[in-house]
Amino acid sequence: MQAVSARILAIEDDERIRSAMRLALEDEGYEVHEAASGEQALQLMPVADPDVVLLDVMLPGIDGFEVCRSIRRSSDVPIVMVTAKADTHDVVAGLEAGADDYVTKPFVAKELAARIRALLRRVRVTDPLSQTSTFGDGDLVVSPEAGEALRAGAPVRLTKTEFRLLCELAHNAGKVLSREQLLDRVWGYDYFGDGRLVDVHVRRLRAKLEPNPAEPRYVVTVRGIGYKLQP
Amino acid sequence: MTTTARSVPSGPAASGGLGLRARVTVAFALGALALSAVLSVATYTVVRTQLVSQQERAAASQTYLNARVLRDGLRGGTGAGSVLTDLQTPDRGGVVLRQADRWFGNSVIVGRDTLPAALRDDVAAGVAATQRFEAGGESWVAVGVPMPRFQAEVFGVFSLGEVERTLEILGYSLAAVALLTVVAGAGVGRWASGRVLRPLGGVSEAAAAIAGGQLDIRLGARDRDLAPLVASFNHMVDALADRINRDARFASDVSHELRSPLTTLSTSIGVLEGRRGELSARGREALDLLAADVRRFQRMVEDLLEISRFDAGMAELDLQEVDLAELARHAVRGAGEVVPVVVRGGRSTVPAEVDKRRMERVIVNLIDNARAYGGGATTVEVAAVEGGVRLEVVDHGPGVPIEERRQIFDRFFRGSAAGRRGAGQGSGLGLALVVEHVRLHGGRVWVEDGNGARGARFVVEVPRA
Repeated sequence: MQAVSARILAIEDDERIRSAMRLALEDEGYEVHEAASGEQALQLMPVADPDVVLLDVMLPGIDGFEVCRSIRRSSDVPIVMVTAKADTHDVVAGLEAGADDYVTKPFVAKELAARIRALLRRVRVTDPLSQTSTFGDGDLVVSPEAGEALRAGAPVRLTKTEFRLLCELAHNAGKVLSREQLLDRVWGYDYFGDGRLVDVHVRRLRAKLEPNPAEPRYVVTVRGIGYKLQP
Repeated sequence: MTTTARSVPSGPAASGGLGLRARVTVAFALGALALSAVLSVATYTVVRTQLVSQQERAAASQTYLNARVLRDGLRGGTGAGSVLTDLQTPDRGGVVLRQADRWFGNSVIVGRDTLPAALRDDVAAGVAATQRFEAGGESWVAVGVPMPRFQAEVFGVFSLGEVERTLEILGYSLAAVALLTVVAGAGVGRWASGRVLRPLGGVSEAAAAIAGGQLDIRLGARDRDLAPLVASFNHMVDALADRINRDARFASDVSHELRSPLTTLSTSIGVLEGRRGELSARGREALDLLAADVRRFQRMVEDLLEISRFDAGMAELDLQEVDLAELARHAVRGAGEVVPVVVRGGRSTVPAEVDKRRMERVIVNLIDNARAYGGGATTVEVAAVEGGVRLEVVDHGPGVPIEERRQIFDRFFRGSAAGRRGAGQGSGLGLALVVEHVRLHGGRVWVEDGNGARGARFVVEVPRA
């Protein structure tokens, strides 16, 4: 289905799950690399140069969160966490560690493929929100075309999802976007996405953009509705 | 795991009658009554004896004095009648004299005839005597002293009226004090029992909280005398919490272990379904069977995990502002059904603050239930009501018999009606989870008659957060 074969690195210690995932993803047209442990995955990262990483949280040796942080130190590649539980702190911990999205076991292959497609779409598509916009008298510059954001003249290192989120907010500057709208536009979820995805990403964005993340000047919360980017 | 509840009788009141507090109060009052009655009677008796004998002694000494005066007078040749004026006369009463056959008296109230015959006989026999008697509705004490040498007798008659009045007042006072003591006793009993029972109030509050699922509650030992109760209570809760946690963990662990093979199964089935075309007709049929049951299995494991999180007290509410009508439409679509969502009350939206994921599960489970047992949901109705929101899933099936309307929400409940068996769609936990999700929102769920005679109507009410 995929015109250009995207590379996926699947990090999963259960051999049978890994094989099943490989079969399913290869059938979707992806090129799949496998790693059975975090150590192996970190060695494989530069070689495989994946477009998306699937990362099981429960790994022997260094755990998924640590692997996630290590990958983030050198790469903005989209990471999908594979967690066991949907409503524990695992999800938030994974997102805080730098993951872009998550699926819970047992997942359906179609669901996983949909998540990956959404992440790739996010990275590839350059859409109408390409105009450069500035905030705070040029203190913050968002230029989708160049694929970068400048804060006080210096480029800010953002993951692809964070950047996409920033572009959505910048495109609708001054307007409030609900969590549902952001989940739909940034993550490709239809209504039943997890609001925590948005919340944690906003938090990450603030930590990188705001002069004082505790009192956000740009990405502000509108209680009970959602978020907006203050011009 | 099945245990029959046994109740240990906690006292006579357990079988009806007065409560512990009332019994303690009554006991205190009765005790006070008995004590004050005994004390009053004793006081009264002692005082009465004392006063009467005092009066008698006074009467005797005065009469002897009079006898001496009379003797001196008679010796000097004065007549008894003349001496009479020299004699001391009590305030109320009088002196009566006899000399030979003549009687003299100095009082209009008392005279010869007033004297009791027995006293006169004693004195006539030459014996000095004292006697109490009643006359004219009054108590008297009479003292008689014989003077055989002069063939005379002196009688002093003294009223006991003053003493009686004093005793009467004393009696009333004692009765009043006794009454006060009874009231005070009852008051003390009530206060003391209240004090003693207050820690038990703490116990019952704690027990209620524990029954409500707060397994981390323990009693603090404030009173040394209650320490054994507190210790055994806390021990019991520890054991209970331990057991519940173990059970919950077991279910959770088992479901957890099932996740990995299930992931392999569902992913592999996904691969096969993507390659349906390569399979023979029989292969496709087998794949469909496999896929359907793996989905069911997966659902079961998810439901078990969900319910074990409730059992372990780990379920958390993630409230968000939503339009319940919109949420219901999404849930209906997610359940793979075409069921109209009706907003009642002439509005188009029903704003609510709920946990989106849980509320969606509630609706999907109710729709699944209607599909399995009620021939499919006919409508989903949402409405804003006083203090919250209301959601109803209506079907047109055989309905739910009244006697099953409670049990139907039990885990793994299979109804008695023939049509309810064998469908085998769900995990048997669907409605039990509905109850848990709704309860976590502080709401209620119940089932009533559908439209007209047929069908069932599942009603969920969630209060405003």
